[in-house]
Amino acid sequence: MVKISVLQHDLSVHLPARPGDPTPMSRNLNPLMHPFSRARERTRALNAAKMDRMFAKPFVDALEGHIDAVEVLCRKPGSLTGIASGSWDGGIVMHNLSTRKQIFNISQAHKGKVSGLCFSPGQGERLLSCGVDRNVKLWAAGEEGSSPDKPLNVFPGKTAFNSIHHHRTDPLFATASSIVQIWDETKLVLPPIAVLQTITAVRFNMSESSVLASIGTDRTFTLYDIRTGKAERRIIMHMRSNALAWSPTFPTTILLASEDHNLYTFDIRHLESPTQIYKAHVAAVMSCDWSPTGTEFVSGGWDRTVRIWQEGRGHQPEVYHTKRMQRVTSSIFSADARFVMTGSDDGNVRIWKAKASDKLGVVTARERAAMEYRESLKERWKVDAEVSRVARTRHLPKSVHQTAKLKTTMLEARRVKEERRRKHTRAGESKPKQEKKKAVLVEQT
Amino acid sequence: MDALIARADSIQPLSKRRKTSHTTSKAASSKGPSSKPQKPTTSDKTFSSVAKHTSIPKSLQDKHEIPEDARYKHITNKKLRTQLNQQSAQGARAKAFLQDAEMLLMDEAGGMEVEGELDRTWRIGQSEIVKVSGQEAAKGRKEYKLDGGPYRSRYTRNGRHLAIVGNKGHVATFDWQTGTMHSELQLQETCRDITFLQDHSYFAVAQKKYVFIYDRDGVELHCLKAHIEPTRLEFLPYHWLLATVGNAGYLKYQDTSTGQLLVEHRTKFGSCSAMTQNLHNAVIHLGHQNGCVTLWTPNLPHPAVQLLAHLGPVVSVTIDPSQGGRYMATAGRDGTVKVWDCRNWKGAVRDWTVRGGGDPELEWSQRGYLAVVSSGAINVYRPPSIHTPFNIRTPPPLYMTHPIPHRPLTSVRFAPFQDILTVGHSSGLSSVLVPGSGEPNFDSREADPFENRKARREREVKTLLDKIQPDLITIDPEMVGNLAPPSKLTTVTTFDGKPPADIPYARLPRMERLKVSGKLDETEDNSGGEDEGADPEAKAKAKEEREKRKMRGKGKSLNRYLRKQRKNVIDPSVIAIRKKIERQKEEKKREAEMSSAGITEQKKKPSALDRFKREK
Repeated sequence: MVKISVLQHDLSVHLPARPGDPTPMSRNLNPLMHPFSRARERTRALNAAKMDRMFAKPFVDALEGHIDAVEVLCRKPGSLTGIASGSWDGGIVMHNLSTRKQIFNISQAHKGKVSGLCFSPGQGERLLSCGVDRNVKLWAAGEEGSSPDKPLNVFPGKTAFNSIHHHRTDPLFATASSIVQIWDETKLVLPPIAVLQTITAVRFNMSESSVLASIGTDRTFTLYDIRTGKAERRIIMHMRSNALAWSPTFPTTILLASEDHNLYTFDIRHLESPTQIYKAHVAAVMSCDWSPTGTEFVSGGWDRTVRIWQEGRGHQPEVYHTKRMQRVTSSIFSADARFVMTGSDDGNVRIWKAKASDKLGVVTARERAAMEYRESLKERWKVDAEVSRVARTRHLPKSVHQTAKLKTTMLEARRVKEERRRKHTRAGESKPKQEKKKAVLVEQT
Repeated sequence: MDALIARADSIQPLSKRRKTSHTTSKAASSKGPSSKPQKPTTSDKTFSSVAKHTSIPKSLQDKHEIPEDARYKHITNKKLRTQLNQQSAQGARAKAFLQDAEMLLMDEAGGMEVEGELDRTWRIGQSEIVKVSGQEAAKGRKEYKLDGGPYRSRYTRNGRHLAIVGNKGHVATFDWQTGTMHSELQLQETCRDITFLQDHSYFAVAQKKYVFIYDRDGVELHCLKAHIEPTRLEFLPYHWLLATVGNAGYLKYQDTSTGQLLVEHRTKFGSCSAMTQNLHNAVIHLGHQNGCVTLWTPNLPHPAVQLLAHLGPVVSVTIDPSQGGRYMATAGRDGTVKVWDCRNWKGAVRDWTVRGGGDPELEWSQRGYLAVVSSGAINVYRPPSIHTPFNIRTPPPLYMTHPIPHRPLTSVRFAPFQDILTVGHSSGLSSVLVPGSGEPNFDSREADPFENRKARREREVKTLLDKIQPDLITIDPEMVGNLAPPSKLTTVTTFDGKPPADIPYARLPRMERLKVSGKLDETEDNSGGEDEGADPEAKAKAKEEREKRKMRGKGKSLNRYLRKQRKNVIDPSVIAIRKKIERQKEEKKREAEMSSAGITEQKKKPSALDRFKREK
């Protein structure tokens, strides 16, 4: 006797039960059924990387309203759409990001440039501004549509102000001029806490709200405690910093945008060396701001580019540029971490996507799944030469590209020279120093 | 500030904290009744300071510890190590899931099993098989009675559609299950082969002079004039390449997605009529008139492998898809069938002689059943015995046999995902049932016999997006995504007796840079060390030759450039050799002087004062 069975596909399983139903899928995961699975996946990863670059259209809009360069940008607390910008012409404009219209426009808020802007905590009803006309002004910014003609209050100072920042909870704010001053919104000036060189920026820590950080033109970065009213720690670096920002998620982390083309993150418990150096700009970095997630930050530079960095990754940031954008003097993240706003010398506030190929608008579940699959493919195949080349390459303006090339040449030459010098000195005489260790010249406590 | 911050319950400097980390963390945990007991494993220093202010949502906290992989223990970078551990854990999980997925396969393979000792499966005829098989399966047993010479056939990848071509020019494509005819053409000229392209909507026919492409309705779309007198066609589905070989012996690849003629290889073996593709690495196997079998890829101008398989012409080549393309079977006009292991070409794994004359035709099914068709009979053999090495030249135990009264038997094709074997002959085609030959479980993502029009269109677009570049075709398909072999031009150097280190190219000294880039002149080293013992005649000859070589091409600018490049290289070995040559010269000179003065005759006796002589 012989048992015979002939393969026969069950039609009730493989065909749709009723007309109009989808044809059932059947899977067989045997690898022999899927030849070239790796090569096909690589092709898909390459396509994903290319699509990512294809859809990279980061520029959203430019907001007008200023005659001169935009010096400072400020996010309204508790709002996704409100930002205020201050300009060299002395005007302050409040923008609505979703409608891209002006909420109000104070054309002559200060004489000369508006050097600092900040909202008082809460729902952002009050806006503080300072200028080089030696005044701090308090504006009502609560209701929409009404332009505040007169400030609620004017705090006169003795010298031109460079920066202002409000305390997280208390009705206090700090200003930077040749001295660091703490003001009470309701009362008078508290005694100045330090007399130094020109202070360019001050920022309160958001977690330890009595800790105040400042940077000055004498290349210093200083930490104060406003309860004692004294400078507590101070470091002197090679070049001055232009901007600083506290990390929103790690209270001990601070970011400095330096004149030497680099950004530095410091752990304030270890000020002897930065935790990371971020190198890509080819001119001085003029501004920086953290994303609310604390995983990335934006910086704007004198080289007319905006860069978006991953925290802890000191190279190859995302880079944005346009033909008409001039020196970027201010940059902030939006409160939902999806957009980046930059103010530049040409008087425009520009809105960019934080992720260049992000899709604005409704994303269906299938589309989202496809995007996530593409992301994971890129992540998996990032070591492939072709895929990484596509994902890495950015077009830069010619000037930036040439400068970057020149800069690498110079640094390389310097390094080689240093190496040769070391080789021809007595063994152990001079040892190579870590780049991080070089950053801080003096640490004072 | 330390004192102040400490008093104000603020962030503490880490340097102070480090020594007493245990006590402080304990104090912190005991102090706050609401705070959860902290994990002792967290070594992150910021954690204790941040934890009070921030906490990760529960849904984001991972409960499972990632198992540590022993392979990555040596990696000091914690981030990288964790990432690699995660990857390996994920891989292990995926493997486990893959094993589970086998339980979900629905259909079972067919087969014939004997119960008694003396029973043989080959005694069972087609009529018995048809009797016991189901209604749908029985449809597979068919006799197509057609005029117009020996027929060749080809199934689509999902096994649903069949294309046939007669030698006299009768072409037909149809859905053999439902019996719907797509197109029928009388081309009125010799046609030698047919193949479907990506699916049943296009097919290519090798006609008398050129290859023609038709669409499903039989409308002629393209005439590929580059392919002259084609004899065999193969379509590589994942690369979208149509490969043809013809009487002139040229193997040509045409990209059917872009329409470009990708490459043409001159085989130098003359007319070729045996061709097959390896489904797993897209290598084309050709069988030639002189008994050679050659393996071709588009990016090599010569065969990747060439072996002498038979005495006399090779008439049929086939590759086992069930073993991942590991075995190849060839049949020659000498009446032998040989099974080869594609990883080791040293002789056939097994070979046997088929009875009767004629050209044996071979085909391997999806599950590894080998059909050998020759001189009026189909013989089918079962897998394990086909490629178990066997010294005696006898065929493996027969699984099934079926006589066909028509000759010559020209083409033999298994239907994918069916237990059907189709054989072409002079008066049409006959399909027979071979239980167990077809893969029962198809994958809808790859090839689905039951797909509708929408799914077909979708799949066409998807496969076109996933099209693999032809330069990725290699013998080893796993080459993609593997680590690149280490470059021979390495920058690893030993420096001043220190252990070898990989120094980036830019930081190497000039000598090493030249060595790495292959510009260093290493000939100088051995020029000095000429052996003295060689006879003078040969030496003179060598010298003359060297002179000649020296002269030739001396004025070339590249040479001048290279000479300049190495002019300033200071190599200690070269210096040493130069010194040695100098010394030898001096020695010779002195000897010559001495001999001319006649001092050599009276060699000085060694005296006690010699020890004060200055050594040269």
